[in-house]
Amino acid sequence: MTIREKLKIKFALVILLALIAGLISYPQITAKIPVVNNILNRPKINLGLDLQGGIHMEYKADTSKVDSGKVTEAMQAVQDVISRRVNAFGVAEPVVYATKSGSENRLIVELAGVKDIESAKKMIQETPFLEFKEEGEPDHSKDIPQDVLDKYNAEAKAKAQGILQKALAGEDFAQLAKDNSEDPGSKENGGDLGFAKSGMFVPEFDKVLFEGNLKDGEIYPQLVETQYGWHIIKKIEQRGEGDSLEVHGAHILIMKKSNDTQNAEPTFVSTGLTGKNLKSASVTFQSQGLSEPQVSLKFDDEGTKLFADITKKNLGKQVAIYLDGQVISAPTVQSEITSGEAVITGKFTIDQAKELVKRLNEGALPVPITLVGQQSVEASLGQISLEKSLKAGIIGLVLVIIFMLLYYRFLGLIASVALLIYTGIMVSLFKLSGFTPWSITLTLPGIAGFVLSIGMAVDANILIFERTKEEVRRGRKILAAVDEGFKRAWTSIRDGNASSIITALILIEFGTGFVKGFAVTLVIGVLVSMFTAVMITKTILNFILGDWIENKLWLIGAKKKDV
Amino acid sequence: MFNIISKIKYAYIFSGTLTVLSLLALLIWGLKFDIDFTGGTRMQIQYVDAVPANQEVENDLKDLGLKSLIIQPSGNNQMLIRYASEDDTINQEVFQKISEKYPGATQLRVDYINASVSQELKSKSLWAIVYAVIGIMAYIAWAFRKVSRPVESWKYGAGAVIALVHDVLITTGVFSLLGHFYAVEVGVPFIAALLTILGFSVHDTIVVYDRTRENLIRSSGKEKFPEIVNKSLNETLVRSINTSLTVIITLLAIYIFGGESIKFFSLALLVGVTFGTYSSIFVASALLVSIYNWQSKK
Repeated sequence: MTIREKLKIKFALVILLALIAGLISYPQITAKIPVVNNILNRPKINLGLDLQGGIHMEYKADTSKVDSGKVTEAMQAVQDVISRRVNAFGVAEPVVYATKSGSENRLIVELAGVKDIESAKKMIQETPFLEFKEEGEPDHSKDIPQDVLDKYNAEAKAKAQGILQKALAGEDFAQLAKDNSEDPGSKENGGDLGFAKSGMFVPEFDKVLFEGNLKDGEIYPQLVETQYGWHIIKKIEQRGEGDSLEVHGAHILIMKKSNDTQNAEPTFVSTGLTGKNLKSASVTFQSQGLSEPQVSLKFDDEGTKLFADITKKNLGKQVAIYLDGQVISAPTVQSEITSGEAVITGKFTIDQAKELVKRLNEGALPVPITLVGQQSVEASLGQISLEKSLKAGIIGLVLVIIFMLLYYRFLGLIASVALLIYTGIMVSLFKLSGFTPWSITLTLPGIAGFVLSIGMAVDANILIFERTKEEVRRGRKILAAVDEGFKRAWTSIRDGNASSIITALILIEFGTGFVKGFAVTLVIGVLVSMFTAVMITKTILNFILGDWIENKLWLIGAKKKDV
Repeated sequence: MFNIISKIKYAYIFSGTLTVLSLLALLIWGLKFDIDFTGGTRMQIQYVDAVPANQEVENDLKDLGLKSLIIQPSGNNQMLIRYASEDDTINQEVFQKISEKYPGATQLRVDYINASVSQELKSKSLWAIVYAVIGIMAYIAWAFRKVSRPVESWKYGAGAVIALVHDVLITTGVFSLLGHFYAVEVGVPFIAALLTILGFSVHDTIVVYDRTRENLIRSSGKEKFPEIVNKSLNETLVRSINTSLTVIITLLAIYIFGGESIKFFSLALLVGVTFGTYSSIFVASALLVSIYNWQSKK
């Protein structure tokens, strides 16, 4: 193979690389060919939480009460429990991992696109809290004071009285009912109650309707007070005789308020028996076959004793089972239970029962954790950051290209092409890294590092071109000068970039989110730019340049000097 | 050809003054550390309507007894609230107070750093700087191991390191000034910028030194060392300026268009890169000549 043939192959490879990089980084170009477009759209840039919105949380685990040999195991358990809780939260691709910082054990949780930060945090840190409660004294704390009640009721009665006067004065009863009645069942029908037999209503009401000697269409001239409030009663018609007498009535109700202690929810007080006394939980069924699922609990020794005491003390009374502050079941105790076993029969579906059992068995975390660091970014803000930084990147790229074209002319054009290929390769690497174990997450400082690397990427070209121009001035032929330029500039490029790589690697090791994102793109950028600036520019230049340019040296911005 | 080396004196005066001023600024004002290093919470709130007055929000939060509370509006109906925080519950209380009083307010960004994490970031930052300096020095010593005439290779290293300290000191000095007059704070991103400046400054210096090395090997011995250095400086001058220009162009683009959160990061890089270019020409190489002159006098 001649040198020229080798060069042709190299040049073809450069074109191919440029095409692939271009297609991967800008797949929109193939929008008209769906098959290709679908494949090219698959690789996506993995955006950091600061760009897509999300929450990064760092927890410190207190492992002081764990045997030093079992810390790793305990941290793994914490990670598993938190992972399950986070998964239940329905976040796409949550990240949960245990890490060490000095002597401290840490747990990192990252949730992308979470809107409600507070409830996410609750979900992570809170154990499902199971508690057994027994009946306590009725709760009078929420009672309305008597004088307030009296005042309210007096006003209600006055209002009812007013409506009665209007009704008696001949205003449309149905309309009055519609406007004023507080009986939701009959209000919309103009207070109409339909035909009913005696005994269907509360006694005071019944008495007026059936024994009030009302004519059809007549309104009872006084308010009728019942346990609900004050009624204005109208008899519309009646049918039947004796036992089968039915009256068609209507009413307007103005309600009254009272502290009805008899109907109040029973209040429950803590017994000291909670989920921490739980040994295990499992899903069982009431009878063989697929009947209603229930959750069976088995207590530890302390729990068994407590449960026996509670059931003994509360024979015939209710014991309520609370989960996360909500009653899920309140069975009545039939006998003292000393076996340390209990059953919750809520109206569970099988899935709910399984979920509850899972959560109960996960129980408390093996070690307590506290939040020591949090960074959260709202999705809209992330979007703005992404747009702004991309804009900055494009403006930076365009300005660098303009500078290179103005200063280095033809060589600048080649460098600009190499720079575009560089940008394409970088974007492709970001996208393709998702398919490898070394997935690159692009953060805002990462974009800054990338943009900075664009400015640095042309450095190698500038070194080479300056050298080439020097060699031309010294009287070399252009191709020889290019060759010499590359050869001589290489050590400077290598040595110079090595120092940037050293500091960037230290930054990666240093390791917090901001710094890491920046340093990773910078390192990759420096490495890739060495390749594009040297290999790609050289290939293109060697392929295109020839004797033709000897008389057009202004194209590369150099003049030949007589030596 | 410019006779750069003959102007050493002025460069030394300029750099010396700036370095001393930076040191003074650091001693008197110090740096304003942000929550990365002090611990605490920084909350960016988006209000639905106009931002309430600082005083008003301060009153709303009075009951919570927040320490070192700083409130500042930040445009677009947004407000930045900063305070010292011991644990996370206070953050929930703060936002609860705000969302009760101003319904619809949202937390655009919340950064909370516990004291133990900030301590750790502090020590990590220090170590990162120490490692970077050691790494860079080792690298320079290695890169110049073959040059020993007439100035030994470790002296190149020393020159590069002094130039690098110069760049970093002046950048830090500028941020001490900004911190004092414009309340600009420095956190982990600033450390990242410093380390990047370290890498870049040395990168620049190495290119100039490289040319000196090459010209030394080529020279027949007729030329004197200061002349060779001067020639090398001239030959690499355009390259140094152009390279820095392209980097400065991209940094300016980030500074102007890149948004609030990376503004001061790019500013730190801008200052450092500018002085890095200057120092690789006027400090690092000048030092080589001064060392040579001093040696010949002995």
